[in-house]
Amino acid sequence: MKREQKLFLAKFVAALVIFYAILASRPVDEKVVLPFTTFLVRISTSLLKLAGEPVMSSGTMISSAAFSVDVKNGCNGVEAMLLLVSAMLAFPAPARPRFAGILAGVAIIQAVNLFRIASLFWLGVHHRDVFEVFHAAVWQTLLILLSVAIFLLWSTRLARPRPADAR
Amino acid sequence: LPGLDLRTLARAAAGFALGLALWWGATPQYNRLLAGAAEPVVRFLERPAATRLYAEGREIVIDRSDFPSDSARPGLPADDLTFNVGLFVALAATVRGLARDRGVGRLFVALTLLFVTHAAAVVVNVEFLYAMQLGPWSEAHYGTAARNFWGTAAHFYRVVGIHAVALLLWWALVRDSREEGAPKPEPRGRKRK
Repeated sequence: MKREQKLFLAKFVAALVIFYAILASRPVDEKVVLPFTTFLVRISTSLLKLAGEPVMSSGTMISSAAFSVDVKNGCNGVEAMLLLVSAMLAFPAPARPRFAGILAGVAIIQAVNLFRIASLFWLGVHHRDVFEVFHAAVWQTLLILLSVAIFLLWSTRLARPRPADAR
Repeated sequence: LPGLDLRTLARAAAGFALGLALWWGATPQYNRLLAGAAEPVVRFLERPAATRLYAEGREIVIDRSDFPSDSARPGLPADDLTFNVGLFVALAATVRGLARDRGVGRLFVALTLLFVTHAAAVVVNVEFLYAMQLGPWSEAHYGTAARNFWGTAAHFYRVVGIHAVALLLWWALVRDSREEGAPKPEPRGRKRK
């Protein structure tokens, strides 16, 4: 492994640990993560209503007569955001594309995560037999793969020499 | 960095499907291996050594010789600790030529390390259960520092560690196995003497 790669890995792990420590602290969890999760739940509930599901939300709970879920850490997309942001901060890049990449990446992850929450609830109502495997493994992995794909696209684009550089 | 094209995405999707099927199908047997590997470590960490771990379906059941014989045995949902197999196989599938030369050896090392992290996750989660979830027994046997340590370790693994392990093993061991194993191309424009 080259020196730059080792440096990237070290920075990535350090950023991950620092962000985790911040997010796991009680004040941040109560004042930021929980309200954010509640916000996601409200939008997901609206999406489900649009799809014709008779649902209501209360805090981080989505419920109907047939099924209810409590959206917790691990289901709010924060872990995928954490990995993506850590990787983008660890990668050598100018400030502007880095900031733009983080903003766009986080937006894409959360857009997909809204669909994930809504689809999991729908599976819980209509296909309870496969709910657990989709909840525990499929969606979590897909979201992480999405953040890896976003990072690879972003970093490849940055690494590609621009026409002006080639002169 | 590896590029991202349609072929790579298709390989990742196929790898994910394969990894998921393997993980889902092999979990009951795999849990037996995990319980066997984690049990000696848990017993090493306690005085007296009283823990026995065994697999039951998709769970790893925790038994202790000092538990009342008529009380229910707690179980760890091992799926939550091992599902990163799907992520790892999906990422490994994007590496072309992995089945050749050094790639197989690196893949074997990475899978062995993945198993070690799974066994460590079982140990951490058993200790977390002992330290935090058994009421007065937990408070009597674990101090504040120990409770914080096991609680943080278990939470870190479940939130980011499980994904980070798969990513790091792929990045550090599997990703560039082809480039390093392949012969270097000759410089263009020069003839061999």
